[in-house]
Amino acid sequence: MLQDYSTAVAQPTLSPEPTRYDEVVAPDGTLRPAWKALASSAIGLTHEELQRISADIVRFLSDDGVRYSRPGESPSWWRLDPVPIVVSAQEWAPLEIGLAQRAELLNAILVDLYGPQTLLSSGVVPPEVVLGHSGFLRVLRGSSRDPHPLLVTASDVARTATGDWQVLADRTGAPSGIGYAMENRRVISRVVPELYRGAALHRVAPFFQAVRAAMIDAAPGEASDPRVVLLSPGPQSETAYDQSFLASSLGFPLVQGSDLVVRDGIVWMPAFGRLERVDVIVRRVDASFSDPLELRGDSQLGVTGLVEAVRRGTVTVVNGLGSGVVENLGLAPFLARACEVLLDEPLRLPTIRSYWLGDPDELDLVRARADELTIRTIDRSPLPPDLDPERLLALVDAEPHRFVAQERPHHSQTVALGPLGVRPEPVVIRTFSVRYGSAYRTLLGGLGSIMETGRVPRSKDVWVLKERADEPDQRLVEVLPMTTVRAPAAMVPRVLEDMFWFGRYAERAEDTLRLVIAAHGLAQDFRYRPWSAGGQTLQVLARKLHDLSPGPDGPLDGESVDGAAHDDELRSVLLDPFRPGSVAQSIGSLRDAAQAVRDQLSPDVWRVFGAIDRAAGTLAGSRLSLQVNDSAGRMLTAISALHGVTDSMMRDDGWRMIVLGRAVERCLQVVRLVDGTVTTRRGIDIDRDVLTSVLGIAESAVTHRRRYRGYVRPAGVVELLMFDLDNPRSVAFNLERVAEVLRGLPASTGSTRPERLLADLRSELEGVDLAGLVVIEGERRPYLEQTLGSVRGLLTRFADAVAEVHLTSAPTPRSFDLGGTS
Amino acid sequence: MRYRVRHTTTYTYDDDVSDSYGIAHVTPRELPWQHVGAHEVVVDPVATDLHATVDHFGNTRTYFQVDRRHQVLRVEARSEVEVLTEVRDDVADAQAWETCRPRLRPDVLDAWSARELALRSDLVPHTPTAFAYAAESLLPGRPVAEAALDLMHRIHRDFEYEQGATTVTSTIDDLFEARAGVCQDFAHLTLACLRSHGLAARYVSGYLATDPPPGRDRVVGADASHAWAAVWIPGGTWLAVDPTNDQLAGERYVTTAWGRDYADVPPVKGVIYSEASTSLLDVEVDVAPV
Repeated sequence: MLQDYSTAVAQPTLSPEPTRYDEVVAPDGTLRPAWKALASSAIGLTHEELQRISADIVRFLSDDGVRYSRPGESPSWWRLDPVPIVVSAQEWAPLEIGLAQRAELLNAILVDLYGPQTLLSSGVVPPEVVLGHSGFLRVLRGSSRDPHPLLVTASDVARTATGDWQVLADRTGAPSGIGYAMENRRVISRVVPELYRGAALHRVAPFFQAVRAAMIDAAPGEASDPRVVLLSPGPQSETAYDQSFLASSLGFPLVQGSDLVVRDGIVWMPAFGRLERVDVIVRRVDASFSDPLELRGDSQLGVTGLVEAVRRGTVTVVNGLGSGVVENLGLAPFLARACEVLLDEPLRLPTIRSYWLGDPDELDLVRARADELTIRTIDRSPLPPDLDPERLLALVDAEPHRFVAQERPHHSQTVALGPLGVRPEPVVIRTFSVRYGSAYRTLLGGLGSIMETGRVPRSKDVWVLKERADEPDQRLVEVLPMTTVRAPAAMVPRVLEDMFWFGRYAERAEDTLRLVIAAHGLAQDFRYRPWSAGGQTLQVLARKLHDLSPGPDGPLDGESVDGAAHDDELRSVLLDPFRPGSVAQSIGSLRDAAQAVRDQLSPDVWRVFGAIDRAAGTLAGSRLSLQVNDSAGRMLTAISALHGVTDSMMRDDGWRMIVLGRAVERCLQVVRLVDGTVTTRRGIDIDRDVLTSVLGIAESAVTHRRRYRGYVRPAGVVELLMFDLDNPRSVAFNLERVAEVLRGLPASTGSTRPERLLADLRSELEGVDLAGLVVIEGERRPYLEQTLGSVRGLLTRFADAVAEVHLTSAPTPRSFDLGGTS
Repeated sequence: MRYRVRHTTTYTYDDDVSDSYGIAHVTPRELPWQHVGAHEVVVDPVATDLHATVDHFGNTRTYFQVDRRHQVLRVEARSEVEVLTEVRDDVADAQAWETCRPRLRPDVLDAWSARELALRSDLVPHTPTAFAYAAESLLPGRPVAEAALDLMHRIHRDFEYEQGATTVTSTIDDLFEARAGVCQDFAHLTLACLRSHGLAARYVSGYLATDPPPGRDRVVGADASHAWAAVWIPGGTWLAVDPTNDQLAGERYVTTAWGRDYADVPPVKGVIYSEASTSLLDVEVDVAPV
């Protein structure tokens, strides 16, 4: 690998950029010390081996369900390059010291800005830089009791041509990426174990233990067993994975704003039917969305009254509300002076050279060099796209204090895998620091990214080597290991609701898949013989499929259907996420539900999605008819594995809701399957084929054969699918299950609406005379149709009642305002 | 003048509200020209939580929560206030307006904090129209007080007072279009005019004592909450002008709160948890001389 790389590096480039610092090869062609220290096996990796490792990475990431979405786009898989960025202890040292100082400085600036504002009154920082920045939250001013609003901070760093570290940007509001960094390390250590074991690098786990300890320690007052929660904007957030990974690995429940409530100026979480006090909120919701009362009134993501609770010091928010103001790009020119004033020491780590345009002299200088510099808003608010330099400068002139100009950043380059081999790529590293004990500690590691535009960034693991082999990991010795921390369940109504839908969508996807597989089997045999009994049965199934998942063009019907049309239809049911009731749609909703309760579910759930996505990917890339069957089969196998996952769950209310959701959905699916298939008479041969298919789809063919010796009659099928208390696929069996689970829920009294409706359902079924039920009038079985209709109606009402009694959250908050004055 | 002020805000909903959270800016400020005596805020149904703090601008902010089911929420503020005639410094008021931009006056003690109020805010953008409109009053070298009063006169003359001419979402440009509005619109307009030229100006919320028609008793509720604007004068004072009534805000004006614009200091705002679809708002302000 490195021979190829050295050759690639040695080649002259046409790039107009100045020479980059190379992380691997020194200008004289020798390896840098960090790389020399790696095992020779690493250095000798071939392109083929790297390709294989890369494929392993893709599989691991998809099994772990690691996704990332760029703002406004649908989520994509997280990407990870197989070759880590390797930094020696000597090279890392100045960065580490600089970052620790920087975190301390940014914290001190925050304390000043939300307190006495001496930096502003003494002219160290122009007031407009802070007071004209959208991250300065006035409602928090003057009341902060938290001397350390900055608990965790992230900085994006790069290296200049001489290899000196430079900060490009700070993330202080709600820094993301720690979860991705942890995941990257986990994957890399699995795919290149020899390399990983051979290198004397700092393992990252102790740092995350320190993060956890710091968050617990941040609780106000003397709480003996503080409750820490991670507040997420929900599964649609671009870094939802990062949040849920962090929550589950640190052992803090993942909550959303509507899960929390403020009473008496204290934040509470309804858990196990009572209110539990929340001491620390690890916030991943934007500060401005954190409280609809005093921040953005249109926010549905916040906790009403949170700002007041913070002001009273009853809860610690991490990072503090308003700490985003020091992400401010306009602060850069003033940091050095602020450091001298607040810390009485020189600033160690420079920021990329920036000019605040609120200063008329700087603005004049920048005007002359506008084409060499990057002009940005200080709060990173986006500028109109395709802005020509003249219009940009006009915007600046209107409000110069809102803008900075930055020199173009330098990036170092390192080895990365491309399609044709290894090549040098520019990189940036996101570093993380945490206030642990009395000082900031920087992660010896980080989240590397290859600088590319327009795509989900390719990330890289970052290895910081130890100075001595016996150095403790992260140079942290005293941190307690996190032995299987498990998030205490936050059994708030929202979580229970997601669990309920998790059960329903899993069942819906599974049942639709069985129907698709049955239809495909018939299509294989009978697509060119529509007049045959099999061909007619195919049409019955096609109509049923369209009934459950309506496509845009109506059901495939009649004898004119082209054979290939069946495959297209089945592909669409499997893959089209916009088609109502499609497998893709059920899987998407299932994934959303799982994501929202990720901290409660076994990581095995994500392997299921990984397998489903691979099966869907193969199908999308192949025109073979057999692939429909193969992919649907693999999806079915994957989704069936979810039963195993839920079987090994704690028997708590969350588990009950999954089981309840599954059972209700199964009843509904059976009723919908029987309706329109068994209810119509079409002739002996066709009826026999239809009934056999229905039994197959309802996974009851084997039972039927044993019980009725292969003689397929409507009464037998209906009995088995609707009334048989021993058949786990039957409606009656599942209603028993529902009754059992329902009894265990805390809100059940024996006479709640769901319990009453369930009683109605069971008596509806018990009162039926089977022989009378299948009586034929003309071509139809009107009593069966009627019973199915009434059972279905009761089931729907039952599901609604469950939601009402067991899953009701508070109504959504709405802002009101005194509309006008005179 | 001494006043007894009663300010009542009543919300009536068409369905039960399970929880109300609110923030009120209804406590008159203690100022060199204004003394506050007895004061209380009463919420009905009784608030389980009622807590006052001082905000970024030095205003008193009252947080309250009602967790009893209700369909009517009443927030009543009662205050005794004495307002004195402010003694103006004629020399300071006569400074050329150009020299009153806080960014150019690092020599003045409070200039750094006034700089915040020369910046645009969400409700007060610096539009070219406002800039041009103001330029006719901000003539070169003109004394700042004279320029501000001229601007006030012109706004009073050029814009019609008309309830309903604007909505909460109306912008400064809409206002120029409609040439009509209510007091908070005129205050915002004044701010846009002054700030777009680099002057610092704040939005002031409070009450105006309206005299009864001759021979008749004062009618409760005839008065409402009011808003005006004040411009920074180097030397430590702010000149308060009321474009709605074309006069300086003198001893008939009770000041409760100030900020960048209305959004910083609405008298009452809140969040409710309810299925209610409509709410009726009723505001009564009584400023009775004592």
